Amino acid sequence: MRYLPLIWSALTRKPARAVLTLLSVTVAFTLFGLMIGLNATFDEVAAKARADRIFTNPRFGGNGMPIAVARQIAAIPGVKVVTAVNVILGYVQDPKNQAVVVMVDDNVPKVFGDWGVTEELWDVVRKDRTGIVMSGLQAARWHKKVGDTFTMISKQMKRADGGTTWTFKVLAIGPDFPQNSNGYILGNYDYIDKARPLADQGKIGEADLLANDPATSTELAARIDRTFANSATPLVTITEKLARAGGDFAGLPIKPITRGIALAGMFMVLFLTGNGIAESVRERFAEFATLKTLGFSDRAVTMLVVLEAALPCVIGAALGVVIAAVLARQIPAMMPPGFGLPLPTMSPVVIAWAAASAFIVALLSAALPILRLTRMDIASALSGRT
Amino acid sequence: MLRQIWIVSALNFKSLKSRFWQSMVIVVGLAATVGVMLSMLSVSAGMRTAYQNSGSPDRAIVVSKGVEQEASSAITRAMAPLIAVAPGIAKDKDGKPLADRTLQLGVPVVRANGSKGFTTMRGMAEKGPGVRPELKIVAGRMFQSGKRELIAGVGAQVMFQHMQIGDKVILPDGEWPIIGIYKTGDQLEGQLIGDSETLLTATHKTNYNTMLVRLASPDSLDAFKKAMTTNPALSVDVIRHSDWYNRVASQSTFGLALLGYVVGAVMAIGALFGCLNTMYAAVSTRGREIATLRALGYDALPVAVSVILEAMLLSVTGALIGAGIAWALYDGKLDLFNNVIFYLSVSRAQIALGVIWAAAVALLGGLFPSIRAARLPVVDALRAT
Repeated sequence: MRYLPLIWSALTRKPARAVLTLLSVTVAFTLFGLMIGLNATFDEVAAKARADRIFTNPRFGGNGMPIAVARQIAAIPGVKVVTAVNVILGYVQDPKNQAVVVMVDDNVPKVFGDWGVTEELWDVVRKDRTGIVMSGLQAARWHKKVGDTFTMISKQMKRADGGTTWTFKVLAIGPDFPQNSNGYILGNYDYIDKARPLADQGKIGEADLLANDPATSTELAARIDRTFANSATPLVTITEKLARAGGDFAGLPIKPITRGIALAGMFMVLFLTGNGIAESVRERFAEFATLKTLGFSDRAVTMLVVLEAALPCVIGAALGVVIAAVLARQIPAMMPPGFGLPLPTMSPVVIAWAAASAFIVALLSAALPILRLTRMDIASALSGRT
Repeated sequence: MLRQIWIVSALNFKSLKSRFWQSMVIVVGLAATVGVMLSMLSVSAGMRTAYQNSGSPDRAIVVSKGVEQEASSAITRAMAPLIAVAPGIAKDKDGKPLADRTLQLGVPVVRANGSKGFTTMRGMAEKGPGVRPELKIVAGRMFQSGKRELIAGVGAQVMFQHMQIGDKVILPDGEWPIIGIYKTGDQLEGQLIGDSETLLTATHKTNYNTMLVRLASPDSLDAFKKAMTTNPALSVDVIRHSDWYNRVASQSTFGLALLGYVVGAVMAIGALFGCLNTMYAAVSTRGREIATLRALGYDALPVAVSVILEAMLLSVTGALIGAGIAWALYDGKLDLFNNVIFYLSVSRAQIALGVIWAAAVALLGGLFPSIRAARLPVVDALRAT
């Protein structure tokens, strides 16, 4: 603590340099926070992925499957509960404001309760067929609150009268969860189904289910595929655990990419802080000689330099992570809907990594100047012959 | 004046050696910025190229009215012959129109790293090879119509497991063998192709997805389109194939490109502060030199310009190093995003973009230090130690 005035005076000697260094470090750590935060989210999603939750889709794409398939799956031994899922793709006012409403049935809280879709939340929609639950992110995106009307136009999901406008009542705002980065809007499957032309009725795009036993769920998924292999709608079924295990984003390996970017940012600031501290020490070489003459040990001088290097790094890292946390909230609004990149989370692990990186950058930056200082010849340094 | 700028800048560059490590801050900053940005953009640029190569100005795609994806379009068996006889379609050597009834469906695949994904399987009818002359069989043979066999693209062969000749793909109607490997130079290389009619039966479908026709010449689109839109038996959209894929390319690469630019911009801001810092330091180191020049009668402007030029030289060097690294690491590598296979691309246009990006940082980062250099009070600076 008693070194603080010394360090402060060193930093304020060239205020422009101190401020610019701090700003640059802050920006680099903002990027670091976003990247490693993204990593943390992928880890969290993989860790929270359940082995007993199973997703099944039509194997060859196409226009969905009959809802009867979901009922048949529910009857397969080992299956606990099935929810039918059908997605309406559309837009609000202008085609560029794309929106997605996921229509599900009353079993949704049983299958996705741990994602925040609880019985109490769903109960509101159960009672009002035209109602929807919006997650906080989506509510913010469309500026909706409970009681508002949400109107969407869907070219691909037509109403029985040929209309393309779907109107919903916002009945509840639900919690967001990392598995669903864009947030969600959940509606009542029954509502769209009855409102569609007869030929389209009874079709769903996906069925999600829970298995009785997580240990045998992979086998169950394979059994579901086998059961429907020769039907009119063959299925492709996968457990959530397996689907999330790759840690990739639509095929892109997230970890090496995010780490590479974070590292590039750190490398950039390392040069900056390293130069800054080297210059600062060079300029004050005689001062350090004086300090040593006054009895400052090598350790004390080392401490001074390390702290001088560490201060902008640590403050910059802290600011950067805070800014990253704020920016992370803006990402869903920036990215095209359905892009699906999860939100970075500033978990304690991310903060720990940022702190560790800040110290490493500070130590590396300070290393060479410290070497020079410990080897300095006090007499010649004092006389300015360096 | 130009002479003065030249002399001052040359003097300036000569002294760069003594400010080597300081200058490296700018070089490394921009190398990291441009390297990361171009690496990220190599994904969106490569994907865009793969899509754009798929479209051709002398082809037209016929889809049901209002759809934006081939998979959601439906062309009935009754509509197909009506479309094929329309004017404006090129004829092959036996006088038959080059119009292909196509199918598109997703097929689950296992990626090379073991994770699960999907790829596109296309159905192609007898005129398919004529409509897509770029399709070349590089191993094995072409599928025969009526037979349950498939050909796989060279990209699919690398990026997915079980895609060699002799491997089997599970389809609704049993297992289909892969009997040939093809090249197209576009995103079809990551896909599978089989016979439309056989696939239609196997997948219990009743409609084709689209009609792809070869136009007699790129100019005959209007005649063809007119025939399509005035026929009351058809409710279709006709789009030039290259336009169709330009739209698909923009839509599917927008998010990725945005991400690349955002990360590039954030890093550029970081590099900008570094650049400002270095150039301010450079101006103060060169204070006496600048003052001497000014005392000798040099104008303020050449001094200011020399500062910006120095920043430019360092930034652009950095940008080229970064671009070089990105190019060496990624250009031409096969990659996969959203079930599309393509070659990553760090093209000359991308590198030029990186250089412009760096020049912009240098301009901003050099501007204020250059103003300070120009305004340096000569007498004080000469006296300064």
